[in-house]
Amino acid sequence: MKTYEDLAGDGGSNIIEQVQALGEKLRSRLDRIKHKVALMSGKGGVGKSSLTANIAACLVSRGHSVGILDADLNGPSIANLLGIRPDQPLEIDETGIQPGVGAHKIRIMSMDMLLKSPDQPVMWTEEPEATAVWVSTMESTALRELLSDTDWGDLDFLLIDMPPGSDRIDNIRSLIPELAGVVEITIPSPLSQHIVSKSITKNSKMKVPVIGLVENMASYVCPHCDEEGQLFEGQDVQDLARRKNIPYIGKIPFDPRLARPTRTGSVFYMENKDSVTGQAIASVTDSILGFIKHKA
Amino acid sequence: MKFLCIPCDEQMETQLDGIMPEENRNLAMKFKCKKCGHSIAMLTNKFETEFVSKLGVQMGGTKAEQSTPLGVVSSTLAQGKEELKKTAPPTEAEFEWTDEAKERIQRVPFFVRNMAKKTVMSFARERGLTRIDGALMDEVREKVGM
Repeated sequence: MKTYEDLAGDGGSNIIEQVQALGEKLRSRLDRIKHKVALMSGKGGVGKSSLTANIAACLVSRGHSVGILDADLNGPSIANLLGIRPDQPLEIDETGIQPGVGAHKIRIMSMDMLLKSPDQPVMWTEEPEATAVWVSTMESTALRELLSDTDWGDLDFLLIDMPPGSDRIDNIRSLIPELAGVVEITIPSPLSQHIVSKSITKNSKMKVPVIGLVENMASYVCPHCDEEGQLFEGQDVQDLARRKNIPYIGKIPFDPRLARPTRTGSVFYMENKDSVTGQAIASVTDSILGFIKHKA
Repeated sequence: MKFLCIPCDEQMETQLDGIMPEENRNLAMKFKCKKCGHSIAMLTNKFETEFVSKLGVQMGGTKAEQSTPLGVVSSTLAQGKEELKKTAPPTEAEFEWTDEAKERIQRVPFFVRNMAKKTVMSFARERGLTRIDGALMDEVREKVGM
């Protein structure tokens, strides 16, 4: 009797060819994007999305074309932060879906843009017996489709706003092997540093390049006198960077204006470049650009 | 996964006109031995069906350019925008699909939807029909024996 290897093809479905074709489609999108950078943290609530939006704006101000893939499928916020209306119609044809164009012409793809209403959660099925394994496999498929079916066009930078935790980086790394690197973000609290240190270790083991560690919410800046005060008690974040042997690329003060969704078509950085926070964002952006220039 | 006809020691081929998944996500695919003509059906439960669908491939084969943007997301996401439902390839112009038929075909898992459409349209063409409704889809299901 013949064995599996003796049989050529799979009887007509050509699954392997189809999977290869999907890979080629993804490659054709990614080849038009010069640099892909992920912003991540093991910990939630450290301001990843707000920073991503403002770093994107800073890159635009330096003359770069920028897109953001919101990889936080279950907690998407990039579309909201950058002014994509929830009721904005989708433009889809056989070649793909057009990204949303947010503030400063930043191209965006986010699960938020696909949902009927802003308060709708991302649910892959409304059947209660759906298994966790099923949801997990759907999420990795969705990420591939968001990346490969979005008509990003030519971009200098694609920033990937990662969800909390370090598990999604496996997905991103397999989809984007040429990922320039990841920016790790923490706040000064010992708990956040504890969790982020695991994320850094994982990236190191997986040989994912780490661009550097950003200390967010490092201090509080008085909006009246610009004086800085400490917000969290904790260990020195620079010490964490030293221990993990990665660059410490800056500290951003806590500034509630950073997380405000744009209402004017402009994000915080563009209107506050000279503020303490604006300068800190610019400094982090310069470090990212420096890393990429050095790598090239 | 491959299927072998043991008496003939030949690989069985996917029958492109024999795929008719149930709308509740149970998949039925037919395979036939081209030597002796023996046919079998592979039946999957909805979780097995969904695991195949996550690959983003289409049973029965498809050309890369025919793959639908956001195909898996659009067919699986609960409460997605209306535009997502229109991402499936357009139905051939020769047929008029009733709202019920459109709704039913839309419930077919993405990765076999094109095959299901082809099956239904082929059946309608054989009968000289240009209108596809729920009753015709019931007949197709009877014909393929699922």
